[in-house]
Amino acid sequence: MNNIFKFSFGIFTTLAVAWLAFVVGARKQFGDLSPTSSVLNEDGNIPEDSDLYPVAFSGVAQQGAVEYLSLGCATCHTQQVRLVEAGFDVERGWGKRPSVARDYILQNEVNIGNTRVGPDLANLGMREYSDEWLHQHLFEPQSLNEKSICPPSPFLYDIKDSNVSGSIQIISEDNRTRLVKPRIKANRIVAYLQELRQDYELPEMSFVEEEESDASELVVVPTTSTQLPTWLADQISSGKEIYTKVGPGGGGCVSCHQPTGLGLPGAFPPLADSDWVLGDKERIIKISMHGLMGEIEVNGDKYNGVMIAPGVPPGSLTDQQIADVLTYIRNDWGNSASAVSPEEVANVRDFVKDRGQMQMWTAAELNSDK
Amino acid sequence: MILIFLNQKLLISITKKILASNQQCKKLLNLTVPNQTKTNNPKVKLTDEQVIDKSAKWVVSFFIASAGLWLLAAALLAYIAAAKLTDPFFLSSFEYFTYGKVKIAQANAFVYGWGGNSIFAISIWIIARLSQAEVRGRVLLITSGVLWNLGITFGLLGILDGHMNSHEMLEMPNEVWPLLFISYAIITCLIIVVHRSRKYPDTIAPQWFILAAILWFPALFLIAWNGLEINPSPGTVQSVLSMWFGQNLIWLWLTPFALGVAYYIIPSIIGKPIDKYYLAIFGFWCIATLAPWSVVHHLEGGPVPMWIPAIGTVMSIAMIFPIAVASTNFHATAFKDIDKVWSSLPLRFVIFGTLSYTISSYIGVIFSLPSVAKLTQFSIINEFHFNQRVYGFFSMIVFGAVYHMLPKITGKEITKSAKSFHFWTSALGVMMLLLAYLIGGLTHGVLAQQPALDWTNSVIASIQPYFLITEISFIILGFSQLVFVINIWKVLVPNPFENTGRSKKFVSKASTV
Repeated sequence: MNNIFKFSFGIFTTLAVAWLAFVVGARKQFGDLSPTSSVLNEDGNIPEDSDLYPVAFSGVAQQGAVEYLSLGCATCHTQQVRLVEAGFDVERGWGKRPSVARDYILQNEVNIGNTRVGPDLANLGMREYSDEWLHQHLFEPQSLNEKSICPPSPFLYDIKDSNVSGSIQIISEDNRTRLVKPRIKANRIVAYLQELRQDYELPEMSFVEEEESDASELVVVPTTSTQLPTWLADQISSGKEIYTKVGPGGGGCVSCHQPTGLGLPGAFPPLADSDWVLGDKERIIKISMHGLMGEIEVNGDKYNGVMIAPGVPPGSLTDQQIADVLTYIRNDWGNSASAVSPEEVANVRDFVKDRGQMQMWTAAELNSDK
Repeated sequence: MILIFLNQKLLISITKKILASNQQCKKLLNLTVPNQTKTNNPKVKLTDEQVIDKSAKWVVSFFIASAGLWLLAAALLAYIAAAKLTDPFFLSSFEYFTYGKVKIAQANAFVYGWGGNSIFAISIWIIARLSQAEVRGRVLLITSGVLWNLGITFGLLGILDGHMNSHEMLEMPNEVWPLLFISYAIITCLIIVVHRSRKYPDTIAPQWFILAAILWFPALFLIAWNGLEINPSPGTVQSVLSMWFGQNLIWLWLTPFALGVAYYIIPSIIGKPIDKYYLAIFGFWCIATLAPWSVVHHLEGGPVPMWIPAIGTVMSIAMIFPIAVASTNFHATAFKDIDKVWSSLPLRFVIFGTLSYTISSYIGVIFSLPSVAKLTQFSIINEFHFNQRVYGFFSMIVFGAVYHMLPKITGKEITKSAKSFHFWTSALGVMMLLLAYLIGGLTHGVLAQQPALDWTNSVIASIQPYFLITEISFIILGFSQLVFVINIWKVLVPNPFENTGRSKKFVSKASTV
């Protein structure tokens, strides 16, 4: 420790050992990685006349990769689908299979990123967005989703007065309509984004088998139909917002009961076609005000858990909000039952006003009150 | 158990060797406590310490002053980045200020500008003091310092102008790196020259940590530069290497430096030797061997060979040994004289830093466990890790060291209320920032693991409040750092319009404190 040369030798050796492992070792392992076919012959060779993957980016897309990098997009967007055991990326629809090292072997700049404030982009090209949609999103993400926090990049576009060829119409949040023409950088970035796709299988990684996708089919059931009276449609749409919003002003119901209303088997009871939701209103109003704990039987299945009252902080929903969200869950996912009015909620609230805010109901208590 | 047993056996043999140098340590550190009776009388010949301080005066002042300016630049950029997350339209029409560019420029300004300059300033002074030798090559030091700062300035402008590299903490354009490397190498050589001319051959903990830190950076840089630019690695080996460099920069450059400073400041203010000092050498070699392995655990589940994150995880868990050692050393010593921790502001800063190091390093170990890493891997928890290291730990210790050092080299005292104000605003800002990133990151990670939730409308919308808190914290921190910079500039650059009577008052105050 006292001789600076021996000391430096020591501290550099510890560093060099790690370097040998991670860099030299990994590099050696990567040495023979090259594009290959989806399926190999039995003898381990590439079959003749088969397509090789991954495919290199086109020239425009390579330039786009440089622009993507220089604008710092990789700060918020990753480009990697994690292994199934490491996360739910595949379930989220961010790819058909986890990414592997071979996918990146032909890229000059690897932007796999490490923070996801925005969605993963490893397979953006597979999500079938039009070029126009991507341009709209680059110019002003808020024109497509007003809640997006992705900063707009208007400097990539020229604003035009008249409809010239290649111009794109942007309708802002405040209904302002603008015509913009992408500059060359924007076109490069969009070409790059469209080529981000890992839509091929490799010998080391095949597509993840999709489980029964009944959940996603149920999502597309229209929530409001045009025949509904306006007041009911309003209640349902406001209820849906409360149901899905997690955080202040929302109920956060979606995190347990899921957007499909199916809950999670064994953990959270379903709302769709549930005897509790479609049954007596008073019970569900009480649950919405104080929460529920203990064993509960829903459609013959037993659940045992705790449901804190919806809202942030728990139990903060107003009578109108409770009425809206209950009306919504009674009229979505194929449910059809009478609406809940704020007056009904107010009556129940008056009736149980002596009950403590944090005193949760039990199923037995609710059923005996009836 | 066996491991602990073996370590104990090893330690006993090391202890015997160290006990001798422990005495040395006490002796060396006691020497650095200024002798009040002598400084009161200007006619007495300068003490050894004063000669050293005088030799370091201009160099250290230069580096501290520029570190302060970089700190302000980083604070401004941090605010812009945070504000862009709460209002995406903020400055959105300027290509120079996209969120990604500003965020990365901020990290670079902070680590290389503030971190680099303060490392130079403090290590020059501490190494000179511990070696009992004068600083040499002062003109060369300042020239290299100017080059270093010019390099960073051009590098940051390059990032904002769109010439960014994709490698973590190597984002500055390629052209500036040779300049930065050469100026860094010159400064390092001159520090080592001072160290080699030391009076006592035995070295002590602050010297190991500080010298290792300043020597590790160029080694890391050369490895990364070779593997990324000169001889580019294929595919995701680049990602492994750039993450390895970026994380090691914090673990092997900022962290050991700050630990070394704490090993120096705590005993010299408390006036007692480090408690269980024989453990320090174990802690040092643990960091040296484990840290370079542990940093890659962030790649869990990614497109890299699976053994890489697996080793990283195991080694991160083993990091509890060096963390425990440092924590025992610092806190057992500091709590011998808790009143001193409270009354001496430099010490209070340092203890805040070491406490923050201990607590959040343990949190870091928990987050490297695979089942937890799965939740938090890509969430804004990453911001928590970065900010707790650079703000909560490194910067706090540097603030303490600067407040300890400046009065000695300039002979002027910084007013206690100003320091105290700086301490409380920093502490508040850092804690708010870290809590927001910690809780926000957990929320982010847990919600992101629910595939049914819509990304923008549910997952990101529910962490928006935390972005607002971070924005407020960055305003508080920026304000507090402005106070710090005013504090140090007031001492470093005497106000030419100030009348002489007032500056005399300053001097007399300094001598009585």
